[in-house]
Amino acid sequence: MATNNEIEGFGRVSRTIGTVFRYLLLAATLVGLVFVTILLVYVAKDAVQPLTADPAWHLTFFLTLVVPTLAAGAYAYRESVEALRTGVFSVGFVVVALMFSGGAAMIFVDIVEPLTWLAFLLALAVPTAVTAAVVSYDHRVPFAAQFLATVAAFYLSLFGIPGPLGSLAGVPTLVPSLFDFVAGLPLAPAPWLMMAGTLGPPVAYVGSQYVAGDRDRRAHVLTGAAVLALVLAGGALGPFAGVDPVPGVVVAAIGLAPPLVYTAGTAANRPTERTGLVVPATIVVGSLVGAAATDALGFAGPQSWVDWAFLTGSHSSTAAEAGFYPAIGGSILLMLTVAVLAFPVGIGAAVYLEEYAPDNRFTRIIDVNISNLAGVPSVVYGLLGLGLFVTYLNQPPGTVLLGGATLGLLILPIVIISAREAVRAVPEDMRAASYGMGATKWQTVKNVVLPRSFSGILTGTILALGRAIGETAPLIMIGAPNVKYSLPAGLSEAASAMPLQVYAWSSLYASDGFYEQAVPAGVVVLVAILLAMNSIAIVLRNKYQSTE
Amino acid sequence: MSDNTPQTDEPAGGETADPTNDDMLVETDVAAATSGSTAGATPDPVIRSRDLDVFYGEEQALDSIDIDIPENRVTAIIGPSGCGKSTFLRCINRMNDRIDACRVTGELSLRGKNVYDDDVDPVALRRRVGMVFQEPNPFPKSIYDNVAYGLEIQNIEGDHDEIVEQSLKRAALWDEVSHQLDSSGLELSGGQQQRLCIARAIAPDPEVLLMDEPASALDPVATSQVEDLIEELAEDYTVVIVTHNMQQAARISDKTAVFLTGGELVEFGDTDQIFENPEHQRVEDYITGKFG
Repeated sequence: MATNNEIEGFGRVSRTIGTVFRYLLLAATLVGLVFVTILLVYVAKDAVQPLTADPAWHLTFFLTLVVPTLAAGAYAYRESVEALRTGVFSVGFVVVALMFSGGAAMIFVDIVEPLTWLAFLLALAVPTAVTAAVVSYDHRVPFAAQFLATVAAFYLSLFGIPGPLGSLAGVPTLVPSLFDFVAGLPLAPAPWLMMAGTLGPPVAYVGSQYVAGDRDRRAHVLTGAAVLALVLAGGALGPFAGVDPVPGVVVAAIGLAPPLVYTAGTAANRPTERTGLVVPATIVVGSLVGAAATDALGFAGPQSWVDWAFLTGSHSSTAAEAGFYPAIGGSILLMLTVAVLAFPVGIGAAVYLEEYAPDNRFTRIIDVNISNLAGVPSVVYGLLGLGLFVTYLNQPPGTVLLGGATLGLLILPIVIISAREAVRAVPEDMRAASYGMGATKWQTVKNVVLPRSFSGILTGTILALGRAIGETAPLIMIGAPNVKYSLPAGLSEAASAMPLQVYAWSSLYASDGFYEQAVPAGVVVLVAILLAMNSIAIVLRNKYQSTE
Repeated sequence: MSDNTPQTDEPAGGETADPTNDDMLVETDVAAATSGSTAGATPDPVIRSRDLDVFYGEEQALDSIDIDIPENRVTAIIGPSGCGKSTFLRCINRMNDRIDACRVTGELSLRGKNVYDDDVDPVALRRRVGMVFQEPNPFPKSIYDNVAYGLEIQNIEGDHDEIVEQSLKRAALWDEVSHQLDSSGLELSGGQQQRLCIARAIAPDPEVLLMDEPASALDPVATSQVEDLIEELAEDYTVVIVTHNMQQAARISDKTAVFLTGGELVEFGDTDQIFENPEHQRVEDYITGKFG
């Protein structure tokens, strides 16, 4: 009896409250996600209209695409989880790379002439080479001389003699800048050749490094040549497939080459993950077979509002013909401007505050205020942009530069905060090791802190960019047009943006057609572009965490 | 206490240093002449402190430390936690400068030059005094770049490949990593990482090597490898090692300094003498494990 009691005698401690608490926490975690998912599914259903398709169309694609893909996934999973992950990643990579190449093609077709692009690259490349040469003689030339030589090289190359400084003083240009010289050359190669010449070699170099690594030269040369051939083929063969040579080159270099290089690298270097590649292969083959089958058998697809006409057309008075192209282009230009303006300033501020700033009252006041600025409503930033740039500096309202500057100010505090987090996450050990070796603060920041925190900084700043791409209020405040019928030709022209266009479709033209067709289609495109951008951040973060 | 230390220390230092070190003194003079040091011809200790006090805010971490650390010897600093032994080590290369609340008074000289003089650049000082930390802390760079780091930042001329190879050989790591110099330093095991850090510290050829409990984060096998390495390094470097492991101090050091609670240097002398016949009851109590 006594022994029995002792065996059972531990009793049980109640965990009811703890269990309830745990599931409440789980619910709190999921509630936002669930609602956003419901919303997106609802919007996507309106935009893509899957139910308008012939059931036989669905059945055909189910048989040619869904079933084989699931089977391929299961096969890869049986091999290893890594293989499946590689397969899924490569699918995402293809999609994201194609979207980016589409955006880049847009810029090179409608905004930046290939000759201007070439001139700009050359005008940057020459002084960069000069800088590199000067820096490599670093023991012999004093810093001030190096600095002056570098600044002079960039100034001459971009602006010429005497450049904008001279025109202020009324002196005519004596020596044209390298930029003007190249841009004004009477004879230039075909635009698509210039694009292939500028985009091909860097992609080929990175690709051959990735695939061949430290291995033999032959693999290097072969991979590089293959990538170059692909880029050239994009321009040469594009017209046969109905794509103009310039966008053909851009899509081949940015959209096709990177995923192909990735798959080649997987096949060559990681035999265990090789099986995962059946997943993207199945999806590509399945889509083609499905499309061919539905075509041949005459099964109608869905009446999707997100179609080629929507992506490449501009706004129209009827919802069915309304397009999103100027808004997409405007948003891309705005994001580029924001990135160029806000990232250097934000990262600079973050590095200063974390590495250099003394811990005194002044610094603490800055600290608190940066956090406060991150919470200031975006419409207030719009007012700031309007007051500062339009009223005070007499800029025309609604231009790309103005919108970029305003959105840049808006995300600056977020960039600073996230970049500071990344810099702070560099272990103190690393700094101590560097200082212990006799490094100066600058050497420590340059060699240890920045490389180590780079991916974290990039992750945070890309997510901040995601906030900027969805902002509407500041753009309305600064007078950006809701509707624009073409892409802006430069940074000082007015541009629309995706959220503005969606806002316009949902408010001013509040007819049912726009509500039901254009708005959901626009939202789907906006969210897809946002996700494509964030996917870079997600990939970087995963890579960062796995190497830690 | 401090008035006792010189008495125990002077004769002991003289006995061990004089007969064995004729050839090394010549080397010292050459080094002193080329580096423009004002050390003079007398066989001064490499590191010499007088009346060194260190405060963290209001709290006193070191109390009037007098010590003479001889050249090309392993000097161990032992003592219980919080006795200031790491603080003393970090005074030597002024790593304490990085702590705002830290204040140092008194004299701490490296080859006759007080390192806390206004005209001493702490960065230049640290280029002459290498340091190895408690936790292995290689940079997230390749093994080669880790070892070459000091050569790069100090603009040291010469064949870097050669220096990297020599440093790795001296750190007894070459055979294990010679085929993977391009792989990340973080992929090595803990003991290998610590030896990599030692290779990194000796690559720019410092005069003094400071080690802050270099083996405390390592397993016994890696510990004994690092200990062997330290004994070999003492042929060419002045090594100052902080350890809380008394057996380790007894095994590898020539001289031992015992710091006790309150930041006092209670006894300093030959390691054998400290461990077999300490002068102070408190030191004996500490060494025999009666406290601390």
